Amino acid sequence: MSKRRDDAPSGDLETKDGRHWEHPQTRDAAHHGRREEERQEPLHPTVEDNEEEIRKLELAWAAPTGFIGWFKPVNQRIIGRRFIVTAFVYFVLAGLLGLAMRLQLAVPENDFLPPEIYNQFFTVHGTAMMFLFAIPVLEGFALFVTPMMIGTRDMAFPRLNAFGYYVYLIGSSIFFVMLLVGMAPDTGWFNYVPLAGKLYAPGVGVDIWTTMITFIEVSALTAAVELIVTILKLRAPGMTLNRMPVFVWASLVMAFMIVFAMPSIIVSSSLLILDRLVSTGFFVPEMGGDPLLWQHLFWFFGHPEVYIVLVPALGIVSTIVTTFTQRTLFGYTAIVISIVATGFVSFGLWVHHMFATGLPHLGMSFFMAASAMIAIPNGVQVFCWIATMWGARIQFSTPMLYVLGFFWVFVIGGLTGVMVASIPFDLQVHDTYFLVAHFHYVLIGGSVMPVLGGLYYWYPKMSGRMMSEFWGKVSFALVFIGFNVAFFPMHQLGLDGMPRRVYTYLEEMGWSELNFISTIGAFVLAAGFATTFFNALASLRVGPKAGNNPWHAETLEWVTESPPPPYNQRHIPIVNSREPVWDWREEQERPVVLGLRSDRREVLVTSILDAEPHAVQVVPGPSIWPFLSAIAASVGFVGILFHPIFFVVSFFLAFFSFVGWFWPRRPWRED
Amino acid sequence: MRQYAGMDVSGLTRFAKSTHPLYYGIIGLIAIELTVVAMLTVSYSYLMFSSPEWPPAGLEPAPILWPSVNLGLLLASMVSMRWAGNRISAGDRRGLIIGLSTSVALHMTVLVLRSFEMAAFEFRWDDHVYGSLMWTITGFHFTHVASAIVGTVVVTILATKGYFTPERQLGVVVDTLYWNFVSAAWIPFYLALYWGPRLV
Repeated sequence: MSKRRDDAPSGDLETKDGRHWEHPQTRDAAHHGRREEERQEPLHPTVEDNEEEIRKLELAWAAPTGFIGWFKPVNQRIIGRRFIVTAFVYFVLAGLLGLAMRLQLAVPENDFLPPEIYNQFFTVHGTAMMFLFAIPVLEGFALFVTPMMIGTRDMAFPRLNAFGYYVYLIGSSIFFVMLLVGMAPDTGWFNYVPLAGKLYAPGVGVDIWTTMITFIEVSALTAAVELIVTILKLRAPGMTLNRMPVFVWASLVMAFMIVFAMPSIIVSSSLLILDRLVSTGFFVPEMGGDPLLWQHLFWFFGHPEVYIVLVPALGIVSTIVTTFTQRTLFGYTAIVISIVATGFVSFGLWVHHMFATGLPHLGMSFFMAASAMIAIPNGVQVFCWIATMWGARIQFSTPMLYVLGFFWVFVIGGLTGVMVASIPFDLQVHDTYFLVAHFHYVLIGGSVMPVLGGLYYWYPKMSGRMMSEFWGKVSFALVFIGFNVAFFPMHQLGLDGMPRRVYTYLEEMGWSELNFISTIGAFVLAAGFATTFFNALASLRVGPKAGNNPWHAETLEWVTESPPPPYNQRHIPIVNSREPVWDWREEQERPVVLGLRSDRREVLVTSILDAEPHAVQVVPGPSIWPFLSAIAASVGFVGILFHPIFFVVSFFLAFFSFVGWFWPRRPWRED
Repeated sequence: MRQYAGMDVSGLTRFAKSTHPLYYGIIGLIAIELTVVAMLTVSYSYLMFSSPEWPPAGLEPAPILWPSVNLGLLLASMVSMRWAGNRISAGDRRGLIIGLSTSVALHMTVLVLRSFEMAAFEFRWDDHVYGSLMWTITGFHFTHVASAIVGTVVVTILATKGYFTPERQLGVVVDTLYWNFVSAAWIPFYLALYWGPRLV
């Protein structure tokens, strides 16, 4: 490498073969001695930024503007931000439904909501929180953050990304609009047959549920493939698998789980829609079908689903813990193995939702053991975080507070989880408020709190400004207190026998006080969330400027400006450790990649294990076709509710839009 | 912070055909669809084993001759696709077009035979769950064969325009990948739908 010093003209190297590059620095003892030498006479020429190149780069990566332009951008940060914003809108809407339910239950024999509306509310609340908020918001964070964390400029299939977003937007809007016209599904978020069959749910509500959930899962699947390929193939040179940030690992595991779990819900809801529309008999006992098949298929998706929204949240926790203790994460390998193990074990748990269905005992014992076993990898992570924080000088900013809140809430949720994993106890509390308490502790504690922490943490990178610390702390206090006041009493209510999904109860049952307390807590909790959202909106204008790295974090998204330019990084960095940014801060210099063209969208392709560069991918630019394809697909998904012919219509519409999407348009003869 | 040149990538290939991200993307798509295939096969077996009689009383197992012929045609089309890929690697554009067209013709034959076969089913999808499964799974595979055909027709049109060269053949490679999935996906369905009832 040293010979390059002489023949490298102003920043451009001669090497034509990226395979044989050396690590510019090695972290051994000799390294420091060599670095002293370099100070006097640099081995590697400094890269000076050239205005002309930057202008070209900006032109190549810029997203279109204007009304039509809104339907065209494909840049990963724009799509990620849209996912996050849309998901939070649904969080607010579904949260309001939750508040309405709490109001109804505040006093016995209340008539605030009629029973049929109450049924629609809890169904849409649950469905929206899971499918319209939890998955999309975590995908949104993954889409927004991971490409920057691995030091690339976009995702591997930018147009697919845009397609996924429009599919999600269209599907979720149709689903939610049904509530406004009073035709929402009312059979609960897991939509059990025979209740959800044609006989007992004749309306259009369940039809919409099945088609739109299938449709929205298409969007989750595109994001998953996108994340897997981007993470495995587009990492910055030198970011070997064992140097990948934990959040990237978590996103990767989430994506793999989506790939193997979502098809199950797609199959089950497709079979249900066939049952409902063309009278097939998959779940109809009289025709030889079996309602339990629905439960198997649903929970084979539904249980991993819980971990799909948990695992990336755990990644956010690891990220925040590292940054706010300013320490290397304790037990990186243990944490990564735990995340992967959680991913695997979560596929062996689904039957624990079905303990009350009378399956053979031997099989149930296996699932009981597996359900208890999943506590192990999660426990390992908690101990690693404690070890990281032990004796560190922790900076108690809002993101860190949310993480500490997460510890408390998630550990309680985990403990009740171990309790309901045991069959005798489960049979006792099955379908009671104990379960409601348990899964809100796990989902709000395990997922929403880290997501809010992540929002405060990455907000500066998204907007260029900081959110208010004061209002952040107020919001945390309200959320933490409100949450526990709202949901802790539900454990007791469940043990007292209050069933879930009842729209009211009699005063003699003795549930009134705890329900009233719970409703007060729910409003405090809502005030906490509202504080954060107003904080986020107001800070867009009045927040102090963030600068590149306001938290002094160690991952790559913090080396570039806030908000980053459309191409993310001027130069793709070269990575030599798990905390590259901290190393560069010490060394005051960093190696970068040269040779990507500035006049078109190029990203570096590296090998899966060792991230050695071996090719360059030219990624496509803005296009209207993904939007048109999403429209073509929606024609089918909505149309089949009216007539099966729309399946064929949509098949050909989608085909033509895909041809329009993929037809080679750039001057390919000159490539 | 000083930035220095760590490596130069201007000489790296822009055409990597079997390590290109798109290649892995199609593998991801296939993984998803294989899971769907597995789910359908498992659902079929689940219902088969939980039924007292399979197929329902009064029905013979569906005839096995034409599905077996289809299996042969589907497997043969994998060979002709492979051959097409080899031809373009050797720079033989005509060979590529012949290989692609042969494969499309084989799949078209499958669709025709399949249509006759479905028309001859002695039951409807709303008669009993056996009928539901037969129609749904065959229809699922029918749709996939149809999409593989239309996709490959587009690739063939691009081939006649001279788009593909020994370097730029990613389109052919990923189309072949998906093609192989669609063709091979018939194997588990064939075993479950036509051999399952005969063996239990």
